[in-house]
Amino acid sequence: MAEVKLRNVKKQYDNGFVAVHDFNLEIKDKEFIVLVGPSGCGKSTTLRMIAGLEDISGGEISIGENVVNDMEPKDRDIAMVFQNYALYPHMSVYENIAFGLRLRRLPNDEIHKKVCEAAEILGITELLGRKPKQLSGGQRQRVAIGRAIVRVPKVFLMDEPLSNLDAKLRNQMRAEIILLREKIQTTFVYVTHDQTEAMTLGDRIVIMKDGYVMQVGTPQELFNHPANLFVAGFIGTPQMNFFDAKLKKDGGKYTVTVRGAAIEVPDYICEKLDARSQVPEDVILGARPENLLIRPSGSKNTIKAHMKVTEMMGSEMHIHADYGGEKDIILRVQTSDLDEEAQVELMARTDFEFTIRQRTINLFDPEDGRNLAVENAVPVPKKNETAVTEDNGSNKKDKKNRKSKK
Amino acid sequence: MSENKKFRSKSGKERTVRVIIYIFLTVLCVIWLIPFIYLIFQAFRGESTSMVTYIIPRKWTFDNFIFLFTKTNFGHWYLNTFIIALFNAVLQTVIVLCVAYALSRMRFKGRKFLMNLMLVLGMFPGFLSMIATYFILKLFGLTSENAVPGLILVYAASSGMGYYIAKGFFDTIPKSLDEAARIDGASRARVFFRIIMPMAKPIIIYTIMMAFIAPWGDFMYASLITFGHEEAYNVAVGLYKWLDKEHISNYFTIFCAGGLLVSIPITALFMALQKYYVEGVTGGAVKG
Repeated sequence: MAEVKLRNVKKQYDNGFVAVHDFNLEIKDKEFIVLVGPSGCGKSTTLRMIAGLEDISGGEISIGENVVNDMEPKDRDIAMVFQNYALYPHMSVYENIAFGLRLRRLPNDEIHKKVCEAAEILGITELLGRKPKQLSGGQRQRVAIGRAIVRVPKVFLMDEPLSNLDAKLRNQMRAEIILLREKIQTTFVYVTHDQTEAMTLGDRIVIMKDGYVMQVGTPQELFNHPANLFVAGFIGTPQMNFFDAKLKKDGGKYTVTVRGAAIEVPDYICEKLDARSQVPEDVILGARPENLLIRPSGSKNTIKAHMKVTEMMGSEMHIHADYGGEKDIILRVQTSDLDEEAQVELMARTDFEFTIRQRTINLFDPEDGRNLAVENAVPVPKKNETAVTEDNGSNKKDKKNRKSKK
Repeated sequence: MSENKKFRSKSGKERTVRVIIYIFLTVLCVIWLIPFIYLIFQAFRGESTSMVTYIIPRKWTFDNFIFLFTKTNFGHWYLNTFIIALFNAVLQTVIVLCVAYALSRMRFKGRKFLMNLMLVLGMFPGFLSMIATYFILKLFGLTSENAVPGLILVYAASSGMGYYIAKGFFDTIPKSLDEAARIDGASRARVFFRIIMPMAKPIIIYTIMMAFIAPWGDFMYASLITFGHEEAYNVAVGLYKWLDKEHISNYFTIFCAGGLLVSIPITALFMALQKYYVEGVTGGAVKG
């Protein structure tokens, strides 16, 4: 139960590779923060710096009132759940959970009480006598969480705890983490590369790329108003569609034109645009797949597209189409909105016309990828920079992950 | 049944090849065992003490063993060797495991250099430094009658250089176990003793065995450092003396009896420890 503050935190390895650049974040008491980003973005490194498992090259980390830069992990009053569980194989489940308490020299009956409580919360009471190798993946993960919650730490750190579980178990454990969080009111820092986990668990999400923070915000903010093209593309499946567009001021109003179809820019964006000293003419318009609406042919202000692939997902249909732009676009159609005949007809079609739902659009600067309507948006790091850093990247864990996936 | 069939050789040719291979291996095995069987039989031979060309004794006796302990210094030598081996087993195991763990887990300046240096130094044969070692030990008064502590020092001092195998083993234990324990509140030392050691049983056993066997059979250093003081000999040096021209006809069967006794502790040690030696215990630590 404590605030965690990171000020200008930097991590540079001995070989010169910078894993984390100037990380600033204030985590409130009892907040659930999720660090998310692709492999090698520095999210795990950041977490490990909070844990004290990695040295800090610059800046300051404080937990509660204390600056913990040079504090040993054991003195920071934190608990951590590892991706690979890291259970002590020679100890029973009971001893695994009790280990931290034994080191703190608690009396035996108190240890017993706490271990039983933790086991109760996680539903692993009947497993207490077993060894880790006799447990399934999900059970091991529960034990690992049990080992962390039994001490009631100030901060609870989780490093991709669900990524070794199969899809079904992952969904189940995700729900359990939400419940767990209500039971043990403490500060959580959670690292994942899975955006669904990030969206469902986090009070606030920190999106990282190549060691830079791209955006910090609530899931809703990130989804509706991504700060730059990277965030826009990272959050949401299928990915947001990007259109090359022209922005024009007409009287007091802005309109944006995509392949001849004019779309009125929503008022809140207009205000932001007016506040800017310079408004680019060429912009990138972002619209999510569910906000592309199929119209009857011959309607006004539509964009023509050629259907390439349709994916029937059951409750929804994904339509991959070519509208003549650089990249293909994806539309998401709710099947429940169409009767079966209409579905069959839609799948049989080759050409169609669509419009973009006006209030949901986002406009990005094609130069640096920033959202024109988000203040203090961070530009997307340049491609060539990332190419260099990936070569001498020393984020071993992520590298390993990548290898094992291959 | 059908699965078993897969492994059974079917063609006659294959069977012939296999028979030939087994005959060859059996012959090899017998040849290899002859000296050892010869040694055992000679140890119990009673009709004479000199070397003979037949294997089976004409008269069986325990006299050779009795002679060993009553008329010679063999008891002393045996005890010397045992003490040296025992101390070395303890010291060397502790040193090797600590060095290996530090080199596996900690990152410090000069780590790579140190590892390479030890590797290169280890490639020079130990006897290159023998004369220097002898004079240093002599300065401390640890030769001749005080050779036992001297030898313990010599064997244990360089033991850290044999870190490779233990380090290789520690490298396979996931680092996240150390990290989890450190977050749980353990110091480095406690991580080592409470978490890593229980998992490192096979490598501990291996190190103990190696550390015990090496001084048990050492001849070169022992003969130099115990020079001139018969009571301080170890078994290898002592027994070897009986193979001199002047002794061999009187001591050959006694030498064989001594050789038999020397092999017993090593065999016993191996038999007792081998079951721990078979398999690691890391199963279930992390997702595998």
